[in-house]
Amino acid sequence: MRKLAAAVVAAVLLAACGGGGDGGGDANQPTTITVWAMGAEGEKLGTLADEFTKQNPNITVKVTPITWDVAHQKLITSVAGRQTPDVSQLGTTWMAEFGKLGALDEVPDNIKAADFFEGAWNTNVIEGKAVGVPWYVETRVLYYRTDIAEKAGAKMPPANWQELQDAATKIKKETGKYGIGMLPNAAGTWQEFMPFVWQNGGDVVDASGNPTLNSPQVIEALEQYTAFYKQGLAPKNATQGFAVEAGFIAGDYGMFFSGPWHVGILNDTGKKIKGKWAIAPMPREQSGTSFVGGSNLVVFNASKNKDAAWKFVEFAAKPETQALWYKTVADLPSNKAAWNSGDLAGQEELQVFRTQLDDAKSAPNVATWEQLATKINDHIERAALGKTTPAEAAAGMQQDAQTLLQK
Amino acid sequence: MARQTAGELPLAAPPQETRDAARRAPRWRSLREALIGYGFAAPYLILFTVFLAVPIVASLVISFTDFSLGAIDDPADAKFVGLQNYQDLVSDQKFKSAAANTAYFVLAGVPLTMAAGLAAAVGLNSQVVRFRALFRVGYYTPVVMSIVAIAVVWRYILDVDVGLLNNVLDAVGLPRVAWLSTPALAMPSIILIAVWRNLGFAMVIFLAGLQGIPQETYEAARMDGAGRWQEFRHVTLPLLRPTLAFVAVVSSAGYLQLFEEPFVMTGGGPLDRTISVAMYMYEQGFGFFNLGYAGAIAYVLFVAILVLTVLQLRLFRSAT
Repeated sequence: MRKLAAAVVAAVLLAACGGGGDGGGDANQPTTITVWAMGAEGEKLGTLADEFTKQNPNITVKVTPITWDVAHQKLITSVAGRQTPDVSQLGTTWMAEFGKLGALDEVPDNIKAADFFEGAWNTNVIEGKAVGVPWYVETRVLYYRTDIAEKAGAKMPPANWQELQDAATKIKKETGKYGIGMLPNAAGTWQEFMPFVWQNGGDVVDASGNPTLNSPQVIEALEQYTAFYKQGLAPKNATQGFAVEAGFIAGDYGMFFSGPWHVGILNDTGKKIKGKWAIAPMPREQSGTSFVGGSNLVVFNASKNKDAAWKFVEFAAKPETQALWYKTVADLPSNKAAWNSGDLAGQEELQVFRTQLDDAKSAPNVATWEQLATKINDHIERAALGKTTPAEAAAGMQQDAQTLLQK
Repeated sequence: MARQTAGELPLAAPPQETRDAARRAPRWRSLREALIGYGFAAPYLILFTVFLAVPIVASLVISFTDFSLGAIDDPADAKFVGLQNYQDLVSDQKFKSAAANTAYFVLAGVPLTMAAGLAAAVGLNSQVVRFRALFRVGYYTPVVMSIVAIAVVWRYILDVDVGLLNNVLDAVGLPRVAWLSTPALAMPSIILIAVWRNLGFAMVIFLAGLQGIPQETYEAARMDGAGRWQEFRHVTLPLLRPTLAFVAVVSSAGYLQLFEEPFVMTGGGPLDRTISVAMYMYEQGFGFFNLGYAGAIAYVLFVAILVLTVLQLRLFRSAT
């Protein structure tokens, strides 16, 4: 009963809140802006805020770190109660929800789309208007064990799906374990699967927003993705929430797809496989498209200090700051120019991400995406475990997309 | 036979004398007493009203609307849709899975918890057990530990690659088992963990019940030549009936709200085999902010708990 009650309390509070406020604010007056940020960014944002205040002595930045697991709810509640911060970090897949709520201010003209990676910028465009600025990016690439691949005689990196599957088969033969570490039942399974769709020329929706999840391209992508499980090249029964790196370090998986954070994790925890792994861009079918994620910075409509707020966002998004930010938390810059200077330019392995970012996509900007993603995950899991055929799974995805996207 | 407690749950009702005394007292005095009474009760009543009564009514109202993300910004955005949410539930495959899983969990989990709790209580109540305090603490500790911490630890223990249990199986030459990610095994694993966690609570209540059984009844049974099993079957069990009813009702209501274990250990998978009604409600309500739909799920669960409780009370009462 407690949970029911809590659910209802939240609803009532949300519904009952009112009030409002907007306005410009004068950048020359002493002002204070509040910034919310999540996880590692929230903990380290003070560095950036100090630097900003040094350059703009009349603006004080108050940083509120919040944890990822409560962030979404807290932000929605703040919008409902008109108690938003001035600036916040937002996950790229949340943009449409907040855009739909009308909570976000439009990006001013002095911040230019062309400075950023296209896939990352597009996560900010809601109904034709940009309502946020990419802060940092991540994209998925292929991690592989060079020593195991060599022993197995697998060609690395794989140029296309066929070579990827051959490599997985050879590695499995060599180690007796798995060729590739994939997860058919994780919250992020769709992020692992969608690149296969995009690489095959398919997508979630067409140009006019109609779902295209039962296209031959999607069915083929499902056939390829599920083949890894059906042929025993990937584990069907990994426990949910378990990190893939343990198996990679132990040699159970010869390959896996992941984002830039695994470079740091493998450097820290994988000392015994130092120098025995490498990363490579996605295999190419029609294209070598990967998934792009990360976070954006937004300014809320309810902010009373919009000028100062945008000034902060502009500061955070410019190349020099992004280079400093990479040094602070190792987040990959969303601003293309930041890659040419400082620490980043010298890191050869990170250039793989730089290359991949030129060909990376995100989910469509629809408010019901998270719901659709859950359904897509369910269909992928069923197909991977052989409960449905790829064609049936694709038909199911299409049906769910039609229901959810018209809302 | 001492029957004074049989058939009645220890539910709060003012003793008859108090009510009679109040009726006979002068008016002003009763008013003053009533005000004092309400004064003492006020902190609870206010909290109850604000955090329980109002939300419970509000969620019923919301369950007849399409209250979702847009309505959070502007409540006028929510439209009344009548019984639409309830109708949608009937054809919602995931809700059906959640309902079936929850029923499975209750039907298997409650009897197992009661049997294990009773066995532990009878064991600890007999005179032969050494280290009685140690066992009592051991059985009861899981009850007071954080359920999320327990679930996280069990997730590690049951993991197929690095889990303690599988390492033991491996060491004795048995195959590794994917306890939490094999569809047919995931729910049984969760049930066993829930039984282990909750048997301590049942045990404590049963111990109290056992200690309320007069020794003479056992002596009388022994004189008639009853063995241990016959004692248990014909003396202990019948005299424990009210305690059994209490534990059954409380456990069932708690188990119907299954949430944390699958939320932490399996995320509802594999193949939706461990998603529970409460979890699905959470996903709809706070994952997707479909609060109208979540409200409908909440009320279905509420009615299920109510019906099951009434049925159980009837059953235990009619049997006495």
